Amino acid sequence: MKLEHLLAGLLRYGSWAASLVIGLGFLLAFVDARFRDMRLVTIGIAMFILLPTLRVFVMLVYYARHRDYRMAGTAAVVFTVLITGFVIGIRTMVRLPG
Amino acid sequence: MAGGIFVVPVLTLFGHVEIRTAIGASIISVIACSCGGAASYLEHRLTNIRLAILLEVATTLGALTGVLLSGIIPVSYLYFLFAAILFLSAQQMLARRKDPLQAAGLGAAEPLALKFGLDSSYPDAEASGEVPYHVHRVRLGMMLMYGAGMISALLGIGSGVLKIPAMDTALRLPIKVSSGTSNFMIGVTAAASAGAYFFRGNIVTGVAGPVALGAAIGAVIGARILMIVSSHRLRILFVVVLVAMGIQMLLASFGIELIKGGA
Repeated sequence: MKLEHLLAGLLRYGSWAASLVIGLGFLLAFVDARFRDMRLVTIGIAMFILLPTLRVFVMLVYYARHRDYRMAGTAAVVFTVLITGFVIGIRTMVRLPG
Repeated sequence: MAGGIFVVPVLTLFGHVEIRTAIGASIISVIACSCGGAASYLEHRLTNIRLAILLEVATTLGALTGVLLSGIIPVSYLYFLFAAILFLSAQQMLARRKDPLQAAGLGAAEPLALKFGLDSSYPDAEASGEVPYHVHRVRLGMMLMYGAGMISALLGIGSGVLKIPAMDTALRLPIKVSSGTSNFMIGVTAAASAGAYFFRGNIVTGVAGPVALGAAIGAVIGARILMIVSSHRLRILFVVVLVAMGIQMLLASFGIELIKGGA
């Protein structure tokens, strides 16, 4: 399978999935008191953040399997920077009292 | 050009959302818009994937710099910077964009572009066939992309306004390839800062959720609307709105508020 089609499929269905989870989250928050905290919406948002990260990882694996190590290395650097971003966020997390 | 630049001004000026919350919501909408639109560009082979991943090294590093700066920059500076970007966008929207001269076949390929295999071709209906192109001045392109990534993280925008000069003047990509590649990169760039903002607690579910949903739907529908509406009128409307919002944001940076929130 060509990388273009692989990534197109991933991003298209990934966007649909994340949007559906967000939409469902709002719907449930509306009708069911147990979902009032909108945790499903938060999960959908997290899915959107993870989607490009996953895209970079797929590229990393694809290039490595095709022995295009220069490209695989480049993807690995981008992936590392993304993970560093998450770590910076966790380190500077706002601690809520209680 | 994506509508991501409108999210923060609308949320802060009309919704009276705190600017950092608005930026957090906006950055999610930027990801949604990029991911939702990317498939179509990829299938039409208008995305230079190899160039994108190389430039993403610069944009994501820029985004991390932006995340670190965002913690120390005062809110009034953010408003000011946003106003400047809005004015720049308006000015860019007025100027006609032309395909950079490509002397394909004549010009020598750049060593770095050769090394990474960045030169490519794209299908063009008008030229009825494949149009080959070189990628020029990759180093300069990466430096500009670093700046674009930083602004993206600081303001929660896709910062196409800064990517376009990099794509046109430094890399000299054909416009169609530039749009496809830029759209593809924006998601990853935004994810670098969004991840940090998510864990930091800057992304408020109640604000970011609806905006992301709207952006994802907009990415699919928007392209169709753009084809119906006259592009010239739309361009003028965009310029007027951009300037109006720029003035508002500029005033807000000095603590002046014209639109009072009705209760």
